[in-house]
Amino acid sequence: MIPIAHFVAVTFYLAAAAVAALPFARRVKAPVVGVVVMLLLGIGAHATALAGLTRQAGAASLTGLGPGLSFAGLVLVISLVVVESVAREVSLTLVAAPVAALITVAGNLAGMHPFLEPQGVRAVWLTMHIVLSFIGIAAYATAAAAGTMYLVARRELKSARFGAIFRFFPPLDTLDRVNHLASIAGFLGLTLGLALAAGYSFEYRALVLPQIIWGMGAWVGVSALVLGRVLRGWQARRAALMSAVTFASVVALYVVFRMASLNRGQFL
Amino acid sequence: MALIVAGVSHTTAPIEVREKLTFRPQDAVRELALLRANGLIREGVVLSTCNRTEIYAVEESNDTLPDISSLLSNRLGDDVAGFMYVHRDREATAHLFGVAAGLDSMILGEAQIQGQVKAAWEQCRAESGPILNRMFQSSLLAASRARVETGIGRGAASVSSAAVQLAKKIFGGLGGRRAMILGAGDVAELALECLLKEGVSVAIVANRTHERAQNLAERHGATAMHYEECWESLHDVDVLICSTASPSPVVTVGRIRASIAARGDRPLCILDIALPRDVEASVGDIGNVFLYDLDDLRAAAAANLEQRGEDVPAAREIIAEEVQKYWDWVAGLAAVPVVREFREEMDRLRSTELAAALKRLGPLSPEQAEAIEHFSRSLMNKFLHEPSVRLKAAAANGRGLGVVDAARYLFALENKPGTDPQKGDSTDIA
Repeated sequence: MIPIAHFVAVTFYLAAAAVAALPFARRVKAPVVGVVVMLLLGIGAHATALAGLTRQAGAASLTGLGPGLSFAGLVLVISLVVVESVAREVSLTLVAAPVAALITVAGNLAGMHPFLEPQGVRAVWLTMHIVLSFIGIAAYATAAAAGTMYLVARRELKSARFGAIFRFFPPLDTLDRVNHLASIAGFLGLTLGLALAAGYSFEYRALVLPQIIWGMGAWVGVSALVLGRVLRGWQARRAALMSAVTFASVVALYVVFRMASLNRGQFL
Repeated sequence: MALIVAGVSHTTAPIEVREKLTFRPQDAVRELALLRANGLIREGVVLSTCNRTEIYAVEESNDTLPDISSLLSNRLGDDVAGFMYVHRDREATAHLFGVAAGLDSMILGEAQIQGQVKAAWEQCRAESGPILNRMFQSSLLAASRARVETGIGRGAASVSSAAVQLAKKIFGGLGGRRAMILGAGDVAELALECLLKEGVSVAIVANRTHERAQNLAERHGATAMHYEECWESLHDVDVLICSTASPSPVVTVGRIRASIAARGDRPLCILDIALPRDVEASVGDIGNVFLYDLDDLRAAAAANLEQRGEDVPAAREIIAEEVQKYWDWVAGLAAVPVVREFREEMDRLRSTELAAALKRLGPLSPEQAEAIEHFSRSLMNKFLHEPSVRLKAAAANGRGLGVVDAARYLFALENKPGTDPQKGDSTDIA
């Protein structure tokens, strides 16, 4: 049941991306409601898969590599739905939905094997840390997606090319605002997630070097972005470039750690 | 009775001809009233815009084309035949629906024509009737559908609306954005009016002649300045419209760089609509400056028009659907009462003849009487089936108003109440 539900979720995410890409093939507006409904159906299937996994493991298990990646994909799509429902604009789906599908597929390929989790207060603490951190990463990914789209749209506008991107991408100002809000949400999520991780590590003497380095790397990246925006007045291209480059670095760092990691059964 | 449209448009006649054929509303109503009083038409509407003059009419029994042609020729002072096109019945409906949707406009998909069609219909309501009322109402519906369901009306199609579209692509909503205008000429004012409609506020009007700048500034609640003073205020505006008559660029890289530092990362949209250009081309290389000259604006408008062209087949499909619906309505309106009356008349004859036959045959058993009754009814139904089907089909095909009239004449139904669609109040859907 778990692989089937994941498959259904991935199908809905990709279908949502395909519907959001309709304006590039035909001269029609992307149906906001249609895209959001597809994403919601995907979320439903995805949540069913993770609920099945929880039932199978006997506890909410988010620490294994497969479940962790799957949960990251789910949180990314949830943050996408929130942003797009508020903005009434679904072009972010073009980037974020395939990324979520990719992460989910990667999680399933890695194997949905729950890693042994602690019980009681310790389990709640750990789960809170994971959920908040993933929310932070998902918001950071949304900021990076908006930033990437900003850079592409800006290039088209600067060079006075009036093709499909000019017609169907949202205005630069909208992408800049999404980048701004998502980076702040990413900063808050990662800060709280890392604070809980620090407390957890201190209390239970559970220090894992790759996790600390990667988590701190992601936090430094999103913090630099938010500080630049809030304190230095970064906007537009500079903020978009910063979010795209730093998030790409965070992803690259994760890949490096995963390739080098001995803890193959865990997220890191 | 048949539908006819005859007229001239930008595709068939030059402006010198079109301007002579323009009707003021009161002229249109007067001419239509005359045609009706002379028993030539039952209903009429004149659509007269700067790009077309068309007379839509529901004819009486005779062909009114010579009369319409004569009316237009008299107005032109020459024979109009060389410039005129004529469509009848279904083609006339499809033509009007296409016109209302902007498919026959000089700028493909322009929205203004829809309002002009509505205005023409309303102005001629006194001379219109159920057939044309329904047709004009359906044309507006078809035009709205074509605009909403296809892209024929999407994107800016003129230079000034392309300027607005570009500014919107940078800033999203333009409400509350500030604009500076360099040069106080008519072209700048035209572009400015487009931006004002979107909620842009004019901050500064700069011109070499201070008096003109002041005039324009006063009209829009802005500040008037000389060129030399305005550069310091540039950091505070979002859109700069340049339209001076200067032979050399007045907006240089040096001037923009000096003000851009104080703007932070905020984008600046420069619309250079002057010829020769007011802005050095290298200004566009500065980060966060989006520079568009006339060629860029024309290219944006042309790209939109090209895209609109791709949606014409889809719009035509919608129009074909709506034309079919309209003629289905006409078929129901014109053919059904005639078919009903026709059957009632035949049934009355059948009953009379049956009664006479039964009397001549003498006493019959109930079974025998019923068999004869059944035979007469069955024979009548078989005789009437094909004419009924063909009458409805002819009306639905848009050729049938004449056929319906012919049926009325052949079966002596013309004086019977309820068979003339022109007389029933219930059919006036307006």
